[in-house]
Amino acid sequence: MKILGISAHYHDAAAALVVDGVPVCAVQEERLSRKKNDASFPLNAIEWCLGQAKLDTNDLDAVVFYERSMLKFARILTCTLRAFPRSWRSFPHAMKNSLGEKIWARGIISSHLGIGREKILFTGHHQAHAAAAFLTSPVRRAAILTADGVGEWATLTAGHGERRADGTDISLLREIRFPHSLGMLYSTFTAYLGFAVNEDEYKVMGLAAYGRPTMTDRVRKLIRRTPDGAFALAPEYFEFQTTAARSYSSKFLDLFGPPRPSYEPIDVESAEGRRFADCAASVQRVVEETLVDIARALHQETGLPDLCFGGGVALNGLANARILAESGFERVFVPSAPGDAGCALGAALYADRIYFHNPDRDVPDHPFWGPAVDGAHLARAAREDDQQVDELEDGPLIERIAGDLAAGRIVGWMDGACEFGPRALGHRSLLAAPHAIEMRDRLNRDIKHRESFRPFAPVVAAETANRYFDLPAGGARLARFMSGVFPVRPEWRARLAAITHVDGSARVQVLERSMAPRLHALLEAYGRRTEVPVLLNTSFNVAGEPIVSAALEGYSTFRRCGIDALVAGSTVVTKRATASTKRATEHVA
Amino acid sequence: MDQLLRPLHKWVWSDPDRRVRKLLIFGEVETDGGRDILRASEVTPDPLLRRLYLEHAIDELHHGVLFKERAEALLRQRPARSNALFGGNPLPGGHGLDDLRVEDQGDPKLLAFLHIAEKTAAGRFAIYKDCVDDDPKTRAIFEEILRDEVFHMNYSYQQLGRLSPESQRRHVWRARTSRLWHRYLRVAAIVAGLIGDTIMTILYFVLLPPFAWAARRAERRDTPGWQPIPRDRAESPTSLY
Repeated sequence: MKILGISAHYHDAAAALVVDGVPVCAVQEERLSRKKNDASFPLNAIEWCLGQAKLDTNDLDAVVFYERSMLKFARILTCTLRAFPRSWRSFPHAMKNSLGEKIWARGIISSHLGIGREKILFTGHHQAHAAAAFLTSPVRRAAILTADGVGEWATLTAGHGERRADGTDISLLREIRFPHSLGMLYSTFTAYLGFAVNEDEYKVMGLAAYGRPTMTDRVRKLIRRTPDGAFALAPEYFEFQTTAARSYSSKFLDLFGPPRPSYEPIDVESAEGRRFADCAASVQRVVEETLVDIARALHQETGLPDLCFGGGVALNGLANARILAESGFERVFVPSAPGDAGCALGAALYADRIYFHNPDRDVPDHPFWGPAVDGAHLARAAREDDQQVDELEDGPLIERIAGDLAAGRIVGWMDGACEFGPRALGHRSLLAAPHAIEMRDRLNRDIKHRESFRPFAPVVAAETANRYFDLPAGGARLARFMSGVFPVRPEWRARLAAITHVDGSARVQVLERSMAPRLHALLEAYGRRTEVPVLLNTSFNVAGEPIVSAALEGYSTFRRCGIDALVAGSTVVTKRATASTKRATEHVA
Repeated sequence: MDQLLRPLHKWVWSDPDRRVRKLLIFGEVETDGGRDILRASEVTPDPLLRRLYLEHAIDELHHGVLFKERAEALLRQRPARSNALFGGNPLPGGHGLDDLRVEDQGDPKLLAFLHIAEKTAAGRFAIYKDCVDDDPKTRAIFEEILRDEVFHMNYSYQQLGRLSPESQRRHVWRARTSRLWHRYLRVAAIVAGLIGDTIMTILYFVLLPPFAWAARRAERRDTPGWQPIPRDRAESPTSLY
């Protein structure tokens, strides 16, 4: 059976293809359109998926959209009505936005793909999150928790799932409904702190380490716990439910003070900078505690040792680590794409197992479902540009790159299929030595052009991870897709300064050889040279752009920023200062 | 036309709020344009064009940074007071907001488009440079960008001649016409949007009050906290509800 899953129209659109119960490919639209967080209908992603599987749209048995768009529209309309007459400014925009495209999901899919409407199916938004988390994990039975900003009505769901020979069951038992939303609470603080909503939430997490949670009492005025163990937001502090113009109300500002203008750099040494850092630390603390309580109750209720956690909130590595440590679950599984992009895969798997009752199949436990890189393309372009190009066997290539990294060079590393999800997990990564703080500053200054308070992540081989990082039981699993933040062991912090955050933690990726054998070999080779087999691993992109996918995208990034060497497959390109084409052709001016 | 509008431009740039807003918009447009041209460098089969597009993209991205940093510096000197008039208008001579689909263009069409866009931008920037005489730092940015625009304008025309010498002029005229058409579409979309907003706002106040009253009453029955999901909740796979 061939099932195409689609997520679109909110943020981070994607397509995924499941054939006979197993994912064949999945990719976010942004990786192909080259527009960061591209939310448009993912035509490029669909075309690529079908091309990859050599299928035509007529070969598809079903196309599954990741949410019920009319139900979502009903929620938007209801909230607008409830806020009457304050919602008069946002009403035209909300209606045009929904009526223009979003609610006609069936017609749009049918017209774009030219397939019959009977083949177009829908799942609930959180059902898709739940399926993406549970059905891609290697466990048979698990508790399931999903949390994000909002889907149709639900913002958080709890349940359990079971994969049996005679069928699969995903039971979401209860939900918390909009406007009560942990995701929206966090996004409100993201906006208040001058960052972009739905994009920069991880900056709040990074900033939190610089502050102290001195404002938790104030944050708790915004979110109170209900007697049944859930939570409710105090609506008077928020405006996201009534207008798209601002998330927080004047009362919120009375409580927390003036917001940070987005153009003002954050200086965590200044009193104002500390206030914002404390604010971030406080909301982070409250969100963590709320999630831990909910997860603990779910553990007690289900008695299961494993938790599958999906939705955008599952990108919060600090909260995930606390859930693992304090909720009672022995293992926590977060997929590589827990956000809306992952819903494309979740929706396809949900339809396969639940709607069509197909037998359970194990899903390969890796994140590499995107387009593969072709080293030959890189070699051709680099030779045409008179760059130094070498084509090497794996052994010499890895030794050479390990030498480059040990010498302090920054390497763009492209290997095989690209990752599905927001993290670079070793196939589209920028790698560098993790030892000196200067490397962090150089990466920030010459390549990433980002705020100095944001940390870089390390990658370490599974065999040696515990030597450098204080991983609890189950920590290595959570760190497989870089989903948890754990302490760097104190004795290694000075030698891992570029990846150790100000609070001594790191969002580490623990790499098993089978997942990315070449990167694993590189870690070993680097360890032989430096005695510390840990590398700094950050996403291969510059600020404001999606992670690179094809070799030439990596090459254009390499050419215009401070990357010293670029690897794609067996091709290594080393930067050579070339005469400017501009100057060479300037005589025409 | 631009020369006739010079007093209007002078008036727009005379207000600090509008100046900041213009610079921020320019920053966004130049960055968007830079990314489009970067994409062109990744998809063109022509090695020389790849190098030229890349240099062009680096320039545009750099312009974006210059504009943004200058706007932020001005904001730090004096935060903006309000939403000013002429706040959101796009850069008339730029190309970032034209929603360029580089993959569908082909190099000759793209080069003709770039030539026209850069030429228009150079004309406008020359006027803007004179409008900010009182602000040497902003003026210096326009001067630097103007130098780059001349190169962009020339290389795109020269390369168009290399790729299709017999239809160079035809491509340029088509690009000019297409640009006018897109400008018309943009104005039409703005007008349609205004009409739509007006109709929706009228509907809001005329039709919605009774439904709003009912929705508020229903809201009172909502209790926060967990809502059970019945196991037998009917959820048809084909239902949008």
